[in-house]
Amino acid sequence: MRKGILEFCIFSIIRRGEAYPSDIVEEMKGANLHILEGTLYPLLTRLKNSEMLTYRWVESNSGPPRKYFSLTPKGEQFYKELEATWNELASAVHALASKKENMPDSTNQNPSF
Amino acid sequence: MKKIININFHGRVVPIEETAFDILNQYVESLRKYFANEEGRDEIINDIENRFAELFAERLKAGANCITDADVNNIIASMGRPEDFEAADADGGVPPKTEQQSSSQQQSQQSYTYATSPSRGRLYRNADDKILGGVCSGLANYLSIDPVILRIAFVILFGALFWVYLLLWIVVPSQSQQSSITKRLFRSADDKVIGGVAGGLAAYFNIQVWIPRLIFALPFVVGIASGIFHAAFWDWDFAPRFISGGLGSTLIISYIILWIAVPVANTASEKLEMRGERVDLNSIANTIKGDLEGFKGRAEKMGNDIKEGAQKFGAEFKSTAQQKSRDLSYEISNRRSSGLGHVIGVLFKAFFLFIASVIALSLFGVLIGLLFGGMALLPFKNFFLSGVGENFLAWLSLILFLGVPLIAILTWLIRRIMGARSKNHYLGYVFGTLWVIGLVSLIILFTDFVRNFRAKDFVEESVNISQPVIGKLYVDETNARRGFHYFSHRWNWVDWDNDWPIYGDNYDSLLLNTVRVDVVKSKDSFFHVQKLKFSRGRTQKQAQETAEKIDFGIMQQDSVLLLPRGGFPISKNEKFRNQQVLVIIEVPVGKKIQIDGSVHNYNWFNINVRRNGWTISDDDEWNNDWNERYDWEANTEYIMTAKGLERTDKTYENNEEENEHKKVTPKSDKGYRYKGIDSNKTKEAAPKKDSATQQKSVKEAQPQEKTASLKKSEEDVGSEKASSPVYFLSMILQ
Repeated sequence: MRKGILEFCIFSIIRRGEAYPSDIVEEMKGANLHILEGTLYPLLTRLKNSEMLTYRWVESNSGPPRKYFSLTPKGEQFYKELEATWNELASAVHALASKKENMPDSTNQNPSF
Repeated sequence: MKKIININFHGRVVPIEETAFDILNQYVESLRKYFANEEGRDEIINDIENRFAELFAERLKAGANCITDADVNNIIASMGRPEDFEAADADGGVPPKTEQQSSSQQQSQQSYTYATSPSRGRLYRNADDKILGGVCSGLANYLSIDPVILRIAFVILFGALFWVYLLLWIVVPSQSQQSSITKRLFRSADDKVIGGVAGGLAAYFNIQVWIPRLIFALPFVVGIASGIFHAAFWDWDFAPRFISGGLGSTLIISYIILWIAVPVANTASEKLEMRGERVDLNSIANTIKGDLEGFKGRAEKMGNDIKEGAQKFGAEFKSTAQQKSRDLSYEISNRRSSGLGHVIGVLFKAFFLFIASVIALSLFGVLIGLLFGGMALLPFKNFFLSGVGENFLAWLSLILFLGVPLIAILTWLIRRIMGARSKNHYLGYVFGTLWVIGLVSLIILFTDFVRNFRAKDFVEESVNISQPVIGKLYVDETNARRGFHYFSHRWNWVDWDNDWPIYGDNYDSLLLNTVRVDVVKSKDSFFHVQKLKFSRGRTQKQAQETAEKIDFGIMQQDSVLLLPRGGFPISKNEKFRNQQVLVIIEVPVGKKIQIDGSVHNYNWFNINVRRNGWTISDDDEWNNDWNERYDWEANTEYIMTAKGLERTDKTYENNEEENEHKKVTPKSDKGYRYKGIDSNKTKEAAPKKDSATQQKSVKEAQPQEKTASLKKSEEDVGSEKASSPVYFLSMILQ
């Protein structure tokens, strides 16, 4: 996946409410975006080290304690940037893909009257 | 049926199959390697393990008794393997926290020009499994063969391939690789006698341990056996020499090579690999290997793409450094034998082992030699031993003293080969006791035997001769063979030339040649010949009786005095008691004498037993009966003058020298004296002593005529005597 898109997706999920990795994977699966847990953990850790995410431990009865991630202000800001990037990208691609006319060509000028 | 272990996994006790546990460990290891450069590596792995623990708990809660292989594999599948992780490069805006090392940028960039490998088939040096530089291991991974094969090839063709190895070591980059081979040849750490080579081979080929051990020990066994037969039967070789010799050295060398080249199986997984039992781990290992190569490629791509190039390169450099140090500590903690030190250590151990085995073998050979020597002397046994008691003791000591160590060594050897370990060491005690009994019996036998020589006596006979007409007496030996077999050539392996007093035998008697011919000055103007027969015995009387029985007939033929050739026989009844015959020829002044060289076939020695010991000597310490016997050389004509025996051809200019060679003075005055010849001497022991010493001092005052020292005279007593071993012995014992 292109750089940044994965982070964008993750941020989007976490932004809605604190989540733990397993949840995130489930949500993405629900959105038909399959990633591996093993991909997620390092990413989350990196983001946390970059202070874009923070977490807290939640004890659970059945199993070891879990990390619940949430966005920091810095993360929020970064999210906005990502969002902007994504929107640009999306519109650019969309524009190219939906063009009905031919490319402007010197030998093949067909101005529509 | 699988073994289940309980592990403490993140604070919880989890029952898990041992095989599943190994899979889990392998997976975590692969993660560790994958995230080697990550700053948050430990945290990531902790998170992943936590997830595992959570899923384990779910499984157990759902009713499973334990975590199985399938469970672990499923979780790994959902978690993803390192090769599947995309996060590493999907990470445009979030570079991992690293230190800025711009100075190392160049260097790390250089290090990454090597890692331009997209494909799996790239040759690397294996950083994980290296003895020296991991060349063989990497090459083997590349070729998908067991690295041991390559190692052996490199060691054997050390001369040619040495430069190849060095070149590869320098040029080829090192990388942490998991080996892709399941069944590898290891040396066994548990089942080792010397270096565990045989144990490892046995595990690899699934055969019993003692088979390879026996194969390696076979040349020793064959060598010993052939050595025994060779010595005993002289011409019968046990096997063609090239089989035992060449094969033996090949096997030894191959053992040493394997000892150097093959690593020891220390960890559990290595031990399993040694037996080739894990197939499922293989696929994981393969995958992880591919992972890491792919990771390197992606990392390089990443470094090229991103504008924060400096940071990336710095990160990679740091990561390689970290990885190297981590790998080193990993290796050290695993007590892996790597490096040149191991090779040198092995060579030293092999060398010392070789020396030790040579010593052991030579001891063994000596024992065998003694044993066979004892056997060989069997025909003579009855001449030395008398009575049932002595015989019994002799046999006992032979068997126990010599035979027991032999058997003990053989037994020990066989047990070591078989790998059998005895619970109690009773066998050692039994052998030791038997050997001590043998030693004791040997000592008893020896002391008893020596007592046979305690007393000495002699019998004197006078030989009637007619005076030679020409005024010269010629002394020679007869030609009669007398039915004896003369040991003039080598007998078995002993070269019994004329140096030995035992000259020949038939089945009933032994021919001794302890005869000596002495020339003295006659009191009157006639030739006289006296025959003195000496013998030892337990008591004086016994000695005298034995001496009496000596049969030494001297004959005369015209002016030739004939002495029996070889010596005189002794029979089994008399036994060997150091019988001696002394022939004293008195030559009157003015007459000549010549002694033939054949008389030198006689060899004279004394066995003297004293209260505090016994000696074998060549001198006349005890036998100083006459005070002046003259030395003579064979085949030389002498004439007796007033001064003494002189050569008739005066080739010697120096009178002094000539005279010095002549006389033999008695060294000491102990013992009885022959009362016959010199009427100048008194006949008692004590006064004789004084007079002798007086005489000696008188003699010494006149160096011209008297000998200076006994030693000098000893040198001249027959030219052959110097070569006799008895002579040497006497010199030492003096």
